[in-house]
Amino acid sequence: MIEDFIHTTITMMTPILLAAIGGLYTDLSGMLNIGLEGMMLISAFISVYVTSITQNILLGILAGIGISVFLGFVMGYLSLKLRANVFVAGLATNLFAAGITVFLSDNLCGSKGTVFFQDAPKLSVIEIPIIDKIPFFGRIFSGYNALTYLSIILLIVSFYLIFRTPYGYHLRAVGKNEKTAHSVGISIFRHRMIAFLVSGLFAGLGGAALSLPLQTFVGGMTNGRGWIALVAVVLSQGNPIGLFISSFVFGAASAFSNTLQALTALSPKLLLTLPFVITLVAMIIYSVRRNKSYER
Amino acid sequence: MNRGLNLIKTLITITISLVIGIITIVLTSSEPLTAIDAFFRGPFSNSYFFGNMLASSIPLILTGLAASVAFSASNFNLGLEGQVYFSALVGTYLAVNLSSLPAFLLIIIVLAVSSLAGGLLAALSGYLKAKWNVNELISSLLVSYTIIYVTDFFVEGPFKDPMAGFSASPYFSNDLMLSKILPPSQLHTGIFIAVGIVIFMYFVCKKSNLGFEIYITGRNKHFSKYAGISIGKIMVISMMISGILAGLAGMIDVFGIHGRVIRGFSAGYGWNGIAVALIARSNPILVIPAALFFAFLESGANVGSLLSDITPEVARIIQSVVFYLVTAEGLLAFIKSRKKVKTDD
Repeated sequence: MIEDFIHTTITMMTPILLAAIGGLYTDLSGMLNIGLEGMMLISAFISVYVTSITQNILLGILAGIGISVFLGFVMGYLSLKLRANVFVAGLATNLFAAGITVFLSDNLCGSKGTVFFQDAPKLSVIEIPIIDKIPFFGRIFSGYNALTYLSIILLIVSFYLIFRTPYGYHLRAVGKNEKTAHSVGISIFRHRMIAFLVSGLFAGLGGAALSLPLQTFVGGMTNGRGWIALVAVVLSQGNPIGLFISSFVFGAASAFSNTLQALTALSPKLLLTLPFVITLVAMIIYSVRRNKSYER
Repeated sequence: MNRGLNLIKTLITITISLVIGIITIVLTSSEPLTAIDAFFRGPFSNSYFFGNMLASSIPLILTGLAASVAFSASNFNLGLEGQVYFSALVGTYLAVNLSSLPAFLLIIIVLAVSSLAGGLLAALSGYLKAKWNVNELISSLLVSYTIIYVTDFFVEGPFKDPMAGFSASPYFSNDLMLSKILPPSQLHTGIFIAVGIVIFMYFVCKKSNLGFEIYITGRNKHFSKYAGISIGKIMVISMMISGILAGLAGMIDVFGIHGRVIRGFSAGYGWNGIAVALIARSNPILVIPAALFFAFLESGANVGSLLSDITPEVARIIQSVVFYLVTAEGLLAFIKSRKKVKTDD
């Protein structure tokens, strides 16, 4: 029972964690990327669509990533070169993605609602040998799709990149104090632009992790996950471990909502509010505590 | 100072986005000329389409105004969607259940209470920001997601009209409905109310103390603090006004067109309102032409889909391009520098 719940949590967490890793890079560079939602959404459509027409999952994922990295580039270019407000550029990204995915799914697949890609190869579940035989832990550590394992690996890689390499050091310097960073010759534009591209890459993976396991695209299927990922980034205070914990908590909120929908007669609509309420409460608690520590 | 420049920039933005719209139509239509003709001239071709276009501008004027007020105080109210929808639910509930009251009184009560509901939702985010510095952009959005589900729940369940074939509340009395202009189009007298609210908000923003305090706080928080303005208070009030206007957008739409809450009827009003506010540069008066432009795109695409083979979603492509371009403060400088490079060659 508990192991099943944790299993569901980790499955639900995957898209959030992937997008949140992306958001972490932009956050460390000193920008809040509110376009994560749109980047995920467009990749969710493109990845499953391209997977279906090429019959190749890898190509699908690459196409999804490609398009969301492109959106990251546009956001970076608008905010860094054309001096657009970064929030507004992020909103534009979200609206563009919401519009174009409905447009494309209507034009290419003939439906604005749910599109089921029956013939798309499925992102299959991988059982890790030996570990999957261990009672309890086998269920927790094994039996996910490749993107879930990848998300954990990429989290560790990101931790290393951010805290153990000159690149990470420079990135954090740009975010902490851009004037000082600039004065020692670190290019602010370059680091922020790279951060936008990287966040596009991860948000793209997050979007693929949403549509590919289901072989389905639904208009607006990200349904706030990009925003929840953004809150996970804010709560993590730049720490990848914190990022994992907050993503896990938000994944658990979704899993909890799902479990209650299956087990109880409570209204599914009201249960769907749970992840948002929990995210909001977490955000408030975090802000209250941070304010208290300022006052001390 | 650069009002002229802003105008040029806006015109460039609109031109580029329309060109992209035309390209989209050419790429997706088998009879592009008919489609383009229907798109551009359709909304003006008869009083039915024209009236419908004006009708769809009414909620956009109000949500555009709502977003403008929040922007003026440099707050982001991303919860407009939920505020519009929830207010319509609250207002319709009152209108259905207090039907014994005289119509005029009931309309006033419904508008007051429903817009207050929207106002309180938004004020919550303003309060959280003022008190604990909770990012209002994220909190208003999360509240909005939550409240949309809650409203859906009522419209699909406890407050659903069992006779309706889809998720919608019962109708309230026809006496409460705003009268129609240009029937059979959907245009209603709400357009005069909306314009009246714009003029009122223009005076609030540009001529009143409160408007000045909002403007100063939006421009420079430190300065306004030294000037003795309570920043927290301004934050809560500006968000509250924003939410009230969003609430009015929802309820006036219900009073004018639907006569009840239909699930998801207001989807897009909030986000498009934000785009309208950006095109209008948060100037209350300019919100009207900006909202008309957005309404034109919607109707053009709708007429185009009726008279030819394009999808109404073309409007969304053009709208998002407008959104992208309007964000680019440096767009004009960018174009200028390109020209310079060319002339230098």
